[in-house]
Order: sequence, then C-alpha cells, then structure tokens
Amino acid sequence: MPDDQKVTPPLRGIPPIAVSQTSTLVNHTGSWKYIRPQYRDRVAPCNVACPVGIDIEGYMNLLREGREEEARDLLLRENPMPAVTGRVCHHPCEDSCNRVQFDQPVAIHAVERTLGDMELDAPLPRPPGRTRQETVGIVGSGPAGLSCAYHLARLGYAVTVYEDGAEPGGMLRPGIPEYRLPRDVLDKQIARIEAQGVEIRCGMRVGDDPGWDQLGHDAVFIAAGAHRSRDAGMEGERVPGIERGLEFLKRVNAGERPDLLGKRVVVVGGGNTAMDCARTALRLGAEPLVLYRRGRAEMPAIPQEVEEADHEGVAFVYLAAPTASRSVNGRLVGLECTRMELGPPDESGRRRPMPTERGRFSVRADLVLTAIGEATDLDTLQSHVDSEAGGVRIGRLGTTSQAAVFAGGDVANEPRTVADALGSGKRAALGIDLYLRRMAGELSDESLAALRLGGGNVSMTRWRQDDPVRRATPANEVVSGEQMNLNYFEHAARHEDEHLDEVSATHAFDEANRGLSHDAALAEARRCLNCGVCNECELCLIFCPDLAISRRTDGGFEIDMNYCKGCGVCAAECPRGAITMTQEGL
Amino acid sequence: MSQLVIKDQIPDEQYLTSGHLACPGCAGAMAMNLVLKALGPETVVVLPACCWSIIAGPWPQSSLKVPLYHTAFETGAAVASGVKAALEQRGDHDTTVMVWAGDGGTFDIGLQALSGAAERNEDILYCCYDNEAYMNTGVQRSSSTPWGAWTTTTPAAHPETHVKKDILSILAAHRIPYAATATVAFPADLVTKVEKAKAIRGMRFIHILAPCPPGWKTADEATVELARMAVRTRIFPLMEVEHGDRWCFTGEHPGDPVEPYIRKQGRFRHLNDDQIASIQDEVNARWEVLNRRVAYGG
Amino acid sequence: MKKVIMGNHAVSWGVKLARTEVISAYPITPQTQIVEELSEMCAARELDARFIKVESEHSAMAACIGASATGARAFTATSSQGLALMHELLHWAGGGRHPIVLANINRALGPGWNIWTDQNDSLSQRDTGWIQLYCETNQEVLDTTIQAFKLAEAVDLPVMIVLDAFFLSHTSEPVDIPTQEEVDAFLPRREARYKLDPAEPHAFGALVRPDAYMEMRWQQQEAMEAGRQAFDRVEAEWSELLGRAYGAVEAYRADDAELLLVTSGTITSTARHVVDERRANGEPVGLVKVKMFRPFPTEKLRELLAGVPCVAVLDRNVSPGHGGIFAEEIRSALYDVALEARPKIFGYVLGLGGRDVTPPVISEIIDRSLAAREPEREDLWVGVNP
Repeated sequence: MPDDQKVTPPLRGIPPIAVSQTSTLVNHTGSWKYIRPQYRDRVAPCNVACPVGIDIEGYMNLLREGREEEARDLLLRENPMPAVTGRVCHHPCEDSCNRVQFDQPVAIHAVERTLGDMELDAPLPRPPGRTRQETVGIVGSGPAGLSCAYHLARLGYAVTVYEDGAEPGGMLRPGIPEYRLPRDVLDKQIARIEAQGVEIRCGMRVGDDPGWDQLGHDAVFIAAGAHRSRDAGMEGERVPGIERGLEFLKRVNAGERPDLLGKRVVVVGGGNTAMDCARTALRLGAEPLVLYRRGRAEMPAIPQEVEEADHEGVAFVYLAAPTASRSVNGRLVGLECTRMELGPPDESGRRRPMPTERGRFSVRADLVLTAIGEATDLDTLQSHVDSEAGGVRIGRLGTTSQAAVFAGGDVANEPRTVADALGSGKRAALGIDLYLRRMAGELSDESLAALRLGGGNVSMTRWRQDDPVRRATPANEVVSGEQMNLNYFEHAARHEDEHLDEVSATHAFDEANRGLSHDAALAEARRCLNCGVCNECELCLIFCPDLAISRRTDGGFEIDMNYCKGCGVCAAECPRGAITMTQEGL
Repeated sequence: MSQLVIKDQIPDEQYLTSGHLACPGCAGAMAMNLVLKALGPETVVVLPACCWSIIAGPWPQSSLKVPLYHTAFETGAAVASGVKAALEQRGDHDTTVMVWAGDGGTFDIGLQALSGAAERNEDILYCCYDNEAYMNTGVQRSSSTPWGAWTTTTPAAHPETHVKKDILSILAAHRIPYAATATVAFPADLVTKVEKAKAIRGMRFIHILAPCPPGWKTADEATVELARMAVRTRIFPLMEVEHGDRWCFTGEHPGDPVEPYIRKQGRFRHLNDDQIASIQDEVNARWEVLNRRVAYGG
Repeated sequence: MKKVIMGNHAVSWGVKLARTEVISAYPITPQTQIVEELSEMCAARELDARFIKVESEHSAMAACIGASATGARAFTATSSQGLALMHELLHWAGGGRHPIVLANINRALGPGWNIWTDQNDSLSQRDTGWIQLYCETNQEVLDTTIQAFKLAEAVDLPVMIVLDAFFLSHTSEPVDIPTQEEVDAFLPRREARYKLDPAEPHAFGALVRPDAYMEMRWQQQEAMEAGRQAFDRVEAEWSELLGRAYGAVEAYRADDAELLLVTSGTITSTARHVVDERRANGEPVGLVKVKMFRPFPTEKLRELLAGVPCVAVLDRNVSPGHGGIFAEEIRSALYDVALEARPKIFGYVLGLGGRDVTPPVISEIIDRSLAAREPEREDLWVGVNP
C-alpha cells in the first residue's frame, strides 16, 4: 500500500484515560454571540433636570464612598453657591428622581446644602491661576452674574462685577427673607466667589454713564435682573396701605421691623415672593392671607414653601382676584374680590383664570402686598441689543445681537429661579470663553449637545474635559426607571428637613428650615440609586455565567469578548442601567 | 439585599474558567461559579451525567480549577462517598467533596444513591442544580418538572401532569445536618449557605434552582429575573433545614402573584387563566405547609 | 499460620493483609460472609479501612471507583444479581483504569431464584475490561486476593477474583495465612499514577471524541496484554516469597494425553480425581485448568492443547444461543493452529445453577468424548432431558 494511503492515527500522546490537560480557555465561545454588552454610563434624570447642570449623581456616589471633599469639589465645579441653592432652590431634580417610582425621592437639596455648608466652613480656596489675558465685565451681581464671573475666573479670566447696590447678591439679598437664607450664609458664599479672583465693585451703576461698552473689557455679560414690579391690575392700586411685595421684603431684609401685630395683611400672588411676603408678615405679628387667582396646584411657588407657610399659619384663598381696594378716610380697610374659575390653558400651559359673575366678596385688609412678578427694565438696553417679549434676546450660550456682549438671567427672560440664573450665567461663561478663544463658530450642535448633561444644562467639567470621576463610555442619554433594575435597592424612608418648632417672636427671623444633620445627609446620599452610572457594585461580574467580566486595575470593568456569549444577564441585572446591549458587528 | 453589600460577600477567587460550553445565560454555570467561590480550592467535584458533563469541557479540557470526576448518571453520591473515604484514609480531612448533579441525577436516577449517602450521613456536600427537566438530552420531563410544563415528552397538548417532587423534604426526612434551597438571583444567600455547609461535617444538601433559557423557552438575559421571581412568588422559597426538623426561611418572600412568572416562560405558554390560578392555589397551600414547619418544626 | 477457614473468609483475610483502604459492599448470598468478616476486622481495628455500607451493589462499585480515583486501594465483593447490577460501573472501572479488586462468588442468575454456583454472572461481564481469575481452593483464593491488588495496580486494571458459591465460599479448608510482614514486602502502598488531588487538579472522564476514544481503548487492550506478563511476574514473586504458584493456566497430567479436560473453578478438583483414576488405569487422560479468563491465555492454551486429539471443555455456564463460554473461547484460540494439530473440541454445558458435577459425570464425559468421531453439536448439554 502506498504511504499516502495508509491510515495513520490522528492523534499522538494520548493518555490512557480521559485526564484533562488544558482548560476551556482554548474555546473562544464569544463567537456564539450576536449581541454584545457595553458599559455605557447614562445620565441620571436629576442631572438633566437641574437648571444649574450639576453632576448630582456623581457627588452622591462620592459621598456614599465617604469621599466628602471630592463630592463637594465636584459640586463646586458647576454650582458656585451650593449653600444658597441648597436652601432656596426649587429642586426640580427631586421631582425627576427615579426613586419616586420606588419610594420617595432623595432629599437632594438637603445633601447639597450640607456640602455647601461644609464649603463655607472650610478655609478659603486659593484663587485659580490667571491663564487668560482677556478681561470680562459683568453687570449685576445676582446669581446669574456671580455664576458667570465664578466660572470665567476658574477658566483663567480676570473678571470684574459691577453692582449698583451697596452689597452684592442681586435679588438674593432683598428678594429672599433671612429666615430662608441667613445673611451670613449669603455673605460667606459671595466671599468665596470673590476668593476665586472675582472683583466685585458695588455702588456702581453701569448703564448710560459709564455705558457697559465703556468699561474696557474684552467681553461683557449683562445680568441686570428684573426689578420693575408688575401691577395687580385692580382699581385703586396706588393708595396708602398697598405696597409692592418686593419693596416690603427689601425694607425688612434691610433691617426694618414694621409692627404688624394683629394686622390683616393680604398678599396678592402665588409665587415665591408672595410666600416670602406672607411668612415675613407673619413673623412681624400679622395675620397673613394669600389671595391667588388659580388653585394651589397651579401655584408657581416651591411647594415646600407653600407647605411651610401653611404650616406656620398663613391663610390661603384660592381662585380669587382683587378688583378694587377699599379705603376709609385714606386708610385701607379691605379689598373687593371676585371668584375665579379655571378655563383652557394659556401660553404658560397653566389653565387660565377667568372671573365668574356670581362670586364677588370682600376681605378685610390693613396692608396689601402685591407679588405679581417683576419686569425687566429695558430702557437703556434696548438701543444696544435686540430684545423680545420684554427681555434681551439671547442665543444658546448667552450671545446677543452684538458681538462681545452677552446676557443672561432675569434680564434675558430666563426662568425666574436662582438655579436657572446660575445655569444661565454658566452658559454665558462658556459662550464668552468660546468667543474669546475665537472658537465660537467651531462649536457644532453635536458638540454643544455633548456638553449638555443628557439634554440638560451644559457641564463645565465636560467643557474642561477634566472629569475627576472615572466613567465608562458615556452615553449622553437620560436613564429611565424602566431601564434600571430596582430589585437591588432597599426601601428606605427619606430624611426630611428639620424645622424650627414654631415661629417665636424673639427668633422670628432665625432660619426656619434647619436642613439635615451630617449623618442624615450621608444617609440620603446612600439612598441615591446612582441612576445610569456604574458604581462598581460588581453584580455584572458576579452573574456573568461565562466569567468574561473582570475588574480593571484603573477601576471599572472590562469584558473579554472572546468569551462573552452575549446572554445579556449583566445588562438585565445592572441595577442602574449602565450596561447596554448592542448588535454584534454594528 | 442592597446591591453594594452583595459584592462584599462573594469571594474574589474564581475556580471556573471561561470558554466552558454552557448555553448563553446558563444559571447552572453561574451557580457553579458561585459555589466554587464559596468552597475554595480544597474541593473535589463529582459530576454525574448532566448538562455540566458538557459544560465542563471535552477531553483534554476542564473548565474547573479543582479536581473533577465525571461519573455515571446515578452514582454521584456513591462516588463522592468513596472519594471522601479515600481522602480520609490518606489523611486529608479538609477537602470538601461536592457532588454537582442536575435534577435528573438527583430527583430521579440518582435518588437511591443520594438517599443512601444521606442516610449514612456521608461527609459530602451534594448540590443539585435544578433546571426542571432533562435539558442536556433535549428537554424531557423529570420528576422535577413542574405541573403544567411543556417538555419534549410532555407536549403542550398533554403537559406535565404531576407536581414537582419535593426533594428538600425528602432529604430533610433523612435528618441530615443541613439541607437548603438557594438560587442564582440571591448570590449572597447562595454563597452564605455553601460556606455554612462547608463548615458542617456530615451530609449536606443544597438545592439550587437554575433557570434554563432554552429549556424554559425564555430569553437568555431573563435567567436571574426568573430565579428572583420564583423566590418572590414562593414557588421556590429559600430555606434551610437543620437535622430535618429545624426549618427556616432565608430572605424575603413577598408572595408576588405567580402569573407573571408563568407567563414569562414559553414552556407554560399553553396554560389558561384557570390553570395558572390552580398553580397559585398550589403555591399558596404549599406555603402554608412550610410556614407550619417553620413554626412547629418538621 | 495455618487456619481452617471458608473461602469467603480467605477473601477477607487477603483483603485485610493487602491493607485495603476503602471497602464498599452490599449484602448478597453467598458473598455476605466476606463483608461480615471485614466488618468485624474493621470494628476490631485489625484493618484500618473505611467500610462504606452502601444501599446497592451499584453504589458499592461507584464508591470503589471514587476511592480508587482518589488513589486509595479499594475492594468490594458481590455475586450474581449484584454483579449484574454493577455492570455499568464495571465498564466505568475498566475504562477509567481503576485498579479495584472485586471478589465475585459465582452464583446463578434468576429467575427463578437460585443461590447455587454458576459462572454466568462473572462471564457476562467478559467485555467490561476486568481481569478475571477463577480459583479452585481456599488457599488459592487467599493468595489470589493479595496478588490481585498487585496485578491491578501494575497495569491499572480492575481485577475480579471468582470463586464458586458454597463449594468454596462456604467450605472450610486449611489455609496457610502469610504474615503481614510477608504481604507488606510483596505489596507496597498504592501510588496512583493519576488521582483526584486538589494540589494537582485534573478532570477525569470527560467527553472524548472518536479519535481519542479509540486510542484510549487501544491502550486498555495493551494493558490487558501486559496483564498476562504482569500476572506471571506477580505470581513468580509470590512463589519466591511463599512457595506457592498456580499459573494462569495449569496442566495436570497432560503429557501424552489423548484427551484433555479443560476446567475452571472447583470442578477442577473433581476432575483431578477422575484424571488420577483414569491414569491409574493407564488411560492417557489429562487436565488443563484455566484460572485466567481475561486476559485470555491464548498462547498458553495453544501450547497445551495443539496436537492433542481430543479436548473436552466443562462449562458451568452458557451463552444462550451459542454454547459454553470457555469452549467457545478455546475454539477461537485454536483456530489459528495448523489443521492437523487442531483438536476435536467437545463443549459440555453442565452444573448450571449449582447442579452437582460428580466424578461419574466427568467420567461419562471422558468416555463420550473418546467414543465420538466428532462433536454432535457445539453445545453438549449434560444430564438434561431430551
């Protein structure tokens, strides 16, 4: 038989029995898969909802790990005044918290406040180095102006803030009563912004002379606010005994203590200023009554503020509007009112209040405070920059119709909250940085979208590209509760803020909301679900039936695609939706 | 249990290697990984015929980093008895001898040898990973197959007509030092039980529910979810039994309705609402029995 | 030391002297005395072995496999139905190359129930990969038991020692029992080539594909071939130590024989008596005793049987539809010798289910064989109704 036709044994060196000689690592079973997992951090909905654009989930995770200073610093990257917002923000973050579907939202505001207070008590930071030649002038020292100044200073610019009042703070100072925002908190917070190298010049009104184009800066940010109070629109509004709520607050915040003991104070309006007026009047001995033309659900005030006012003894009359004042011998005695009902939604999306024929009534009033809202004073601005709907018209990053001029906050019709003002100032800082680097035209829609936290506000950390938190491939999409696996979380009651037991005469303007203890705040941070972001719980590694997942030495995990069969258990079980399955080969 | 506490309870070292031949999403592979983590390297595995005969890898491979003896279907407990005896004779009193058997090798063909080893109180750990049918041979019914389930030998037109055999009670009746149930959805519970079992001398039995995507006709990624649902619905309560009479539950059994669990599985697709209701009734009745045992002893 | 003991106890003594480490067994008549005695020995700490009292013969063999796979010396004993129940695992022990020693008391298989001697139980296990050694006396039983361990461990194959129910198992004979020192010198502690060891973890018995499977079976076959020489070496060593040897095949007064009886087990002793009578009459009749059935001693049988005119094989067994199993094996072994040297082979089936095989029965067989020109048929049944 020719050699090539001989049957030769196919194998050599076979042992006498089936004893193993190798592991199964020779089998690249990863070839079986048609989908593959990928660690893709999504964005927590609180981050998206935050008008400031804070990585809330990020600092919660650091806090959970006991890294308090890092948590605080992460917060300070985006928010110049956490001690303030921790007290007065309307915290839409909590409404969007995925924990709402589970039990109660994380008390984010209280954790922020704790971190903010931690900062206030820390030694002043060293100012960031000045790395840019250009200087920026900022008109207005409210939250928008200070936010813009803070971020620009941290980006290396010399910044000067011009404030026409005697003290910096804008509407924070007159607009928010002391029992909500103690003056020392505000002062310390502003001092820390100054410590970033921001110069604040008070008592300097910028407008006609000097005009803001005469300040000699390379760019200017206008954040002059909105200070013109609107009328309530009743007959006899300009009579003694009817005062604009904001003026009243300014007086009291400036130290005046009018004696309102036993007086009926009627507050017209349903916003935060209205609540502040009512609660301030209460502290001055009055019996306040809030008159609001819509229902409680439609009130623009922070619900917590309404609850606190209610709790303190403020009376409310809903679906009612004043039509005229009644005075006797030049002294105000009451208001004529009409019952309202809610019609179809108006442009704000809320149901429009409409007067009814039958429901006329009057209320006794010794003092009426109108808190209908404030309008922008556009007199000097209108000749320089385009405006619309009563405010300066701005682009996505605070640009106006004029080069080198930026605007934001209330003056530009941004939503009238502290958080929105802070966020607006941050956007403008980014716009100014781009402008001064001659890069404004280079920021595509996609690049800008990438700077936004899942479609929320822009992130300075993303802009600076120096994220201290390690992240898996980020997917800039918000994670929903359905994309998470809530089975791994334990129910835990939310820690509620502590409050002063009652409003006492001697401590009437003491801070009413005492926040959370340090321990309670840390416990709240542990309640955070860390939505969308891998926090190395290792369930993926524990469950992977193919042991294809291993820890990386630099944190996080890697998947050995030679062995991952694409079963998807890791993604299904990831408590926080930080793993995505994608089609193989795409 | 909170997700971040789980990892602290799972040992790091792995004694299973990638490249094994389990189907995607196999709970049997997950379970082996976790059990070996708990047992550590001083372990000998005895493996009667089951899916794992394949998963372990063909000669010359082994997916385990501990010694492994493949043996005939009905011999797990007996071979392990011999292994343990030999180790003892050779002065090794520490190595854990573990049988790793499927439901067929435990509930059916291996029950005699298992009963014998249990009655003799052999110093072995017997783990049954239970996927509720003969999966390796292509999904034939076993005495572990639940009532109403489709298998290739209980077609949808005439599905399984018997309730699942109560193997835990059978083992408990042998008055062995330790018997328990566990499943992959609760890895810390599983690892804790294995560690506890490891420290006990004498016969130990752990019944591990192991959902099987191809056999249960479920999505690959649903394995852990199904195991979790089985516990939460009380279809597969997590339990421990010491010396046959001290029964206790481990973990939470909120009593979720069985219907979503049943509806999630293709093997139950043919069941109507009344039939599912009867499964619920059976689960409820069984739960009462178990609660009485926990309260009054078994 | 000489003692008068039963065959079953000769096994027990052998197991004890071999320092067996793990014993696992299940009771069955007529084997039971082996494990009863071993239980006593273990209880008295005369034997430091783990005795696993399992719930079936199947588990007995399984436990032995586990113990042997872990490197220990393992033993079991059974009979008839019990051996049949073990069948699957006899393959596992053979294919796994586990040097287990099993004592099988030849007993008939049911139905109907029958506890008396018959070789069908052990011969049914012909193809399981076990060495099989058939014994004639209690002394041989004891000696073979000890040798079996040495042989098994030399070639990594399991060994079955076989003895007749009652004729050996329950019959007392004087037996010279070697000292422990003598046996220790002969049989060192087992050092397994492969074992279940956490320090050197391997998997045993995994799925093997056709290419490698056949290579492993070839090596099993080679081990069986090696077993023939190994048996001779082991026996030579034993003989040197204690002066006793039996041979895989023994020729008794076979010189110049016109007819050779071929026997195994206790029939051999009866046949020796008949041969002595015939030789005393000057008749050229001899005897060949086959001790080793697997590996089959083909060469030795050819040497002894080729050229002998007439061979009468006495089979206390039958393969239904064929004939006596020893006869068939011998016919096959002699097919390759030259035609003129090929003997006439008479295959007698007799003594099934313990029916007595007396000297007159064997004498009749001799006469019948010598008288016939050719066998009437392959299987010549002795003493059955037409």
